[in-house]
Amino acid sequence: MTTFEPDTALPLQPPLVAAAAPSRWRRLGQTLRMFVRRSPVSAFWGCVAALIILMAIAAPLIAPYEPLKSDFRAMTKPPDGRHYFGTDQIGRDTLSRVIHGSRASLTVAIGAVLFGTTLGALWGLASGYFGGRFDIVSQRIIEFLQSFPDLILAMAIAMALGAGTGTVIVAIAITRIPFGGRVIRSVVMSLKELSYVEAARGLGASHLRIMARHILPQCIAPYLILATTHLGVAIIIEASLGFLGVGIPPPTPTWGNMLADSLNAGLVPPWWLVLFPGVAITITVLAFNLLGDGIRDILDPRLRGGAGGLAIVAAKERVAA
Amino acid sequence: MYSYVMRRLAFGVVTIVGVSIIVFMVLRILPGDPLVALFGPEGFTKLSEAERARYMAELGLSDPLVLQYFHWVGDIIRGDLGRSFFRAESVGDMIWRRGPLTAEIGILAVMISWVVGIPVAIVSALKPNSLGDNISRFFSILFLAVPGFWFGMLIVLALLFWFGYRAPLAGASLFTDPWNNLQLVIGPAIVLGLGQGAYIARMARSSLLEVIREDYVRTARAKGLSRRPVIRLHALPNAMLPVITLSGILMGFVLAGSIPVERAFGTPGLGYAMYNAVRERDVFVMQNLVFLFSVVFVMLNILIDLTIAWLDPRIRYR
Repeated sequence: MTTFEPDTALPLQPPLVAAAAPSRWRRLGQTLRMFVRRSPVSAFWGCVAALIILMAIAAPLIAPYEPLKSDFRAMTKPPDGRHYFGTDQIGRDTLSRVIHGSRASLTVAIGAVLFGTTLGALWGLASGYFGGRFDIVSQRIIEFLQSFPDLILAMAIAMALGAGTGTVIVAIAITRIPFGGRVIRSVVMSLKELSYVEAARGLGASHLRIMARHILPQCIAPYLILATTHLGVAIIIEASLGFLGVGIPPPTPTWGNMLADSLNAGLVPPWWLVLFPGVAITITVLAFNLLGDGIRDILDPRLRGGAGGLAIVAAKERVAA
Repeated sequence: MYSYVMRRLAFGVVTIVGVSIIVFMVLRILPGDPLVALFGPEGFTKLSEAERARYMAELGLSDPLVLQYFHWVGDIIRGDLGRSFFRAESVGDMIWRRGPLTAEIGILAVMISWVVGIPVAIVSALKPNSLGDNISRFFSILFLAVPGFWFGMLIVLALLFWFGYRAPLAGASLFTDPWNNLQLVIGPAIVLGLGQGAYIARMARSSLLEVIREDYVRTARAKGLSRRPVIRLHALPNAMLPVITLSGILMGFVLAGSIPVERAFGTPGLGYAMYNAVRERDVFVMQNLVFLFSVVFVMLNILIDLTIAWLDPRIRYR
């Protein structure tokens, strides 16, 4: 072990698709059991996250009322036995709207992470692997993108493209690209010097094959850590966009829209209209953040017990760079 | 040091040019037709062909894009930030009127984040896994998940509900009317400060834990120094470097966060102006404000990098 030592921020893992696995399902079961044993708190919040996703899928079945239906006999009613979370100024049931709001939040967050973080990761993979001029140009572009505070860039893009679910996803996805690019690039840079990659190259494997078969699998762990952490950030940005009126347009219930609406419900906003959507955002973000922490602890033990959070990952990179 | 400063500044200029190109691309090219953005789809269809052509010419939108870009950059360099499409006041005046409030909020928020975050981190790191550590970690994890603007709304609501108090609505200068100014600024600053403080506390804790394990800390203890001076003189200064870098990255959090948070508090600062620009779909104001916020962000980070280089010779001499 004198020849190389993984010296970048993220360590190297044994390949995830290891040989001699008895069966995929049993391996999954084992992994899950290990997860629960090693970080019970994260496992609990992982279950919460799963429940929230289930709630979003089954929203029409769970919600007691139609989220868009106004009941003019019950306008701005505080919580009671009929409407557990009260009603808004045109008599829509807050509980149903909070439940349906999870759909918008999760669609946008998952969509943005799938597009943005993945695109960034692939970009980072290519720029780290090829290096040279392509890498230099890529790094500059990524730096330009990172020179915008997330929310401001997302706001500008969402405003320019006009309101809609798709545009909000694109807007948030673009702000996610630099993070994926940076992290995966640094992993790839350290990987490509390793002897097994050189061996593959010596055997005459093409660049595409080396990237896909030998480097990509090693990037899955950092990617997963990155993606779960980004989900929480994406949810907060989505809510902020909704709150500022450039999110998914109004009749659709989203948590951000509901909070924005509550400010129009009179001089003193009714507390139940403010409280519940915010609690929903907080719990969802908390769930994804802590799940991400747990995944990081398992996949990346060197960061265990260390600081979490995106900004912190970014700061560590800057210090290392 | 001199060459490092020059290099960093040159990179900063390149970055600002890149940022301006992205801003221009996003706000001028993406929307397709800026008139649609200005008037909204319905308003746009009501305009006649002649009116459309006139507006396009008036706004300088019929020129080639490259020319438009250079016009815009030229205007900014000359200090002319244009005027709103909907308001009489020029953007430059608006920034002078509203900017100080947001700057105050930002500075106060950074101060609060350090004043809260660092002591919490020290307590946590000196006794890891104690009750105090767990409580502070719980709060820092919680504050990472709470959206700042919602926290702000809750504060406004609570003050109204229990005390019937509402912050003054009009802007007030720090120098002529410090009391009203404080009332305007303190709420957003606390919200943004605590949100950042959570990051600072987590980072400082892990950084301190790493530094405490270093040899020179053990040596300092071994030569007979007591715990306090070792922490204060040996561990803390070295643990602060990553925290300062983080603080720079978090400036973006303050700048961007000021938009929804000022909206939640109704603070008449630049963040609120940005919210107005978005709501009115005022592309030109938006373009200049986005550029302004990003330039400030870039410059703050250059400042942070130079501070780090000044504090840490290893970076200077590379």
